[in-house]
Amino acid sequence: MNTAESKAHSVKERAGYALNNEFLRNAVKFTTERLRLGKKLASEEHGNWDEWRERGRQIRLHTIAHLDYYLNEFAEQARANGAHVHFAETAEEAVALSLQIAEHKSAKSVVKSKSMVSEELHLNKALDSIGVEAVETDLGEYIIQLADETPSHIIIPAIHKNRYQIAELLSEEAGETLPPDTAIMAGFVRMKLREKFLEADIGMTGCNFAIAETGSMVLFENEGNARMVTTVPKTQITLMGMERIIPSWADLEVMATLLPRSATGQKLTVYMSGISGPKRELDADGPDEMHIIIIDNGRSLQLGDPEFQELLNCIRCGACLNACPVYRHIGGHAYGGTYSGPIGAVLTPALNKNVAEWDDIANASSLCGACYEACPVKIPLHDMLVSLRRRKIEAGRGDKLEAMGMKGFSAIMGNAKRYRSVVSLGKWGQKFVVRNGEIRTRIGPLKGWNSYRVTPSLPKQSFRDRWPEMERDIRRTSGQMEPEIANRLKERLQQQKSRKGEDSHG
Amino acid sequence: MGNHADGGWLSQLEERSRKKQELFMDGIAAKLGRDRVRSAPEHPFRGAPDFWHEFQWPLEEKITQFTANFEAAGGHAVRVSNREEVSRFIRDKALEMSAATILRQREEALDLLELEESLPEAMILSWNEAADTDWRAVAAKADFGVVMADYAAAYTGSITVKSAPHKGRSVSLLPTVLIAVIPVDRMYTRLGEILFQFDQGGREQLPAGIHFISGPSRSADIENDLTIGVHGPGIVYAVLVDSYE
Repeated sequence: MNTAESKAHSVKERAGYALNNEFLRNAVKFTTERLRLGKKLASEEHGNWDEWRERGRQIRLHTIAHLDYYLNEFAEQARANGAHVHFAETAEEAVALSLQIAEHKSAKSVVKSKSMVSEELHLNKALDSIGVEAVETDLGEYIIQLADETPSHIIIPAIHKNRYQIAELLSEEAGETLPPDTAIMAGFVRMKLREKFLEADIGMTGCNFAIAETGSMVLFENEGNARMVTTVPKTQITLMGMERIIPSWADLEVMATLLPRSATGQKLTVYMSGISGPKRELDADGPDEMHIIIIDNGRSLQLGDPEFQELLNCIRCGACLNACPVYRHIGGHAYGGTYSGPIGAVLTPALNKNVAEWDDIANASSLCGACYEACPVKIPLHDMLVSLRRRKIEAGRGDKLEAMGMKGFSAIMGNAKRYRSVVSLGKWGQKFVVRNGEIRTRIGPLKGWNSYRVTPSLPKQSFRDRWPEMERDIRRTSGQMEPEIANRLKERLQQQKSRKGEDSHG
Repeated sequence: MGNHADGGWLSQLEERSRKKQELFMDGIAAKLGRDRVRSAPEHPFRGAPDFWHEFQWPLEEKITQFTANFEAAGGHAVRVSNREEVSRFIRDKALEMSAATILRQREEALDLLELEESLPEAMILSWNEAADTDWRAVAAKADFGVVMADYAAAYTGSITVKSAPHKGRSVSLLPTVLIAVIPVDRMYTRLGEILFQFDQGGREQLPAGIHFISGPSRSADIENDLTIGVHGPGIVYAVLVDSYE
C-alpha cells in the first residue's frame, strides 16, 4: 500500500485507489482467475464435491459445537507430547507471551512462515521493538515485508507486486542489481533465507489444523519454508487460532481434500506436515522447545451467535476471494483489515467487535452468493453480510436509503410471487436494487440500499463503464442462486421479524 | 540463562496457562449455552464420506496414478525392479549431476545400497551417525538427500516420511536433490489409509515430525510464475521398486 492509499480511511477510498491502479486490477484478476479455475478443475476431477463439502462442514460444525472438549483435549495431548501450551485472550496477551519467550531465549532473530494470526497480532513490529529481527520466509511474504506492506491475498500475499518492483526490492537487499527474472530472484531468496534459517533462534508458524486426539499441529505449504521453520531453529512458537481444531487424523483427510483444491487447485500441497511436540530426545533435528499459543482475539464472540458462529468453520483457503467479483476488481488492500474478500468483510468486524467497521466493509460485496458456492465448508457468507448490514441499521448506523432497501427486501421476501419474479432476474447483486418499492434493473446496483458501496468515490462514468463487466463476472461465476440460499435468507427474515430491534452482536 | 532459571520460568508459565485454560473452556461452554463437555462426544461425521472408504486401486493402477500425479506436480517417478537397480539409479544420477555430498537416512535398508562402494569419489554421510556434528548444517550443504518412504499415496502422488533419531527431517528438506525410495508394497490408494494408522497407533506412537511430500518445493508468488526449489529440494525423484529384498 502506498502512503496515500494507506491514509485512505474507508473501503471506498481505498477501492478508489485500487481501481485506478491498472496493474493491480489486472494482476488480481489474472491470479484469482487462475486459482478459481484450478479449484473448479480439481473439484470436478475429484468428484462428489458437494458431499465432501457437506462432510467438511459437518466436521467443523461438530468440532465448534464441542470446542471446549476438543480444545481442552488438544492442550492436554500437546503437553503430553512435550509442548508448552499457552492461552491468550487478546492480541496483546499473545504478543506479550511471544516477546517473553524471545527474551528468555535471548533471541536475536525469528524466522516466520506464513501465518494470518501473526498478521492479526502485528507481531513483527512488536519483535522489532525489543530488538529481535523477524524474517518472513514465504517468498510472497518476504517480498511484502521488504516493501513494508501487508498481504493482499490470503494465499498469494504479493499478488499486487510486479516483477520489476520485486527485482528492485530484492536488489536493494542483495546490494547488487538483480534482473527481473523469476528464477534468479527466487534463487537469491533461497540463498539469503538459508542463512537466516540457520542462524535464527526461534521459528514461528501458524497452524492450519490442530488434531485434538494426539495434540499434533498440521501445516500445509508449497515452498518448504514452514518445514524449515519447524525443523531448524532450537525454539519453535506456533500461533494458533482457538478454532483451528479437528478431532482426528481421519478428519484431516477431509480437510486435506478440501483445502488445497479450494486454495490453488492442487490435489495436495507439496508439503503437509504433522508436528507432534518438540524433537524427541535422540532426534538430531526439530526444535528442543516448542510453544503453542492458543489465541482467542475475538473468535469466541461468534460462539453462540446463530448468525455468525459458522465463521469459525473457515479453513482459510481463499476460495471466496477468488470467486468474489468485488474482490477481483478492488484487490485485498481495499478491505483495510488482515483478512480481505468476503471472509474478511465479515470476519474483520466480527473479530474487532467494532461497530464502526461495519460502516463500509460489509458493503463491499454484491451479495451474489458466489462466496458461499465457493466455500469448501459452506459458510453462508452472503447471509452474514446481510446480517451485518441489518445489525448496523438496527444500531441506528444505517442511512435512510439503506433502510428503505431493507424494507424493499422484506417486501420482496414477504410476497412469493414478487419474490419469484425477482429471483428470476438473477443474482442478489441485481436483485437488491429495490428503491421506493420498484425494481430498477438497469442502473439499480449503483443506487440501491446495498449499492456496491465502493462506487461513490469513483468517477461515475468509469464505474458505469466497468459495471457490465462486473455483472458478467457475477453471472458467469455464480449462475442462478441456489434454492437453499434463497430459503435460508427467507428463514432469516422470519427470525428477524420475531426479534426485531434486538442487537446481540458485539 | 541457566537451565534451572529457565525451568522455573516455564513452570510459572504452565501454572498460568492451566488456570487460563479453565477460564477459556468455561467461557466457551457459557457462550455455547451449556455445561462443560468433559468426555469425548459422539462424532458421527468422523473422517471421509462412507463411499470413499471402499475406493481401492489395484497395484498397477496405484503405480500409474502415483506416477502421473507426481510428475504433474513437477517431480520425477521411475520404476525399477530390485535393490540393485535402485543403487545403480542413484549412482548414475550422482555422476550425471556431479553430486559431491550425499546424505542418507541411517537405515539398514539404505546401507544395503552400498553407495559408499559405488560412488567412491562422493562423500556419503548417514544421518546422525556422530553425536558432535551439526547435522542440520550438513544437510543444508548436501547435494543429494536419500530417504526411504514410510508410505506413499497414489491418489495425491504423495510420499510420507516419519522422523526418528536415525531419520532426520532435514534429509528430505535441505539438500538440493531428494531421492525417495518407495518399495511398492508401501503404496496405498488414499491418503486416509495412511492417516488412519496415526489414529490407530495413538499419540504415543507418533514421531515429532510426519511429512507428506508431493513434488519439488514450489512457489508462484512472483507474478504467478511457477518457480521450483524455493526453499526445499527443486529436484525430486520417487524411485518405485517392485522388490526390495
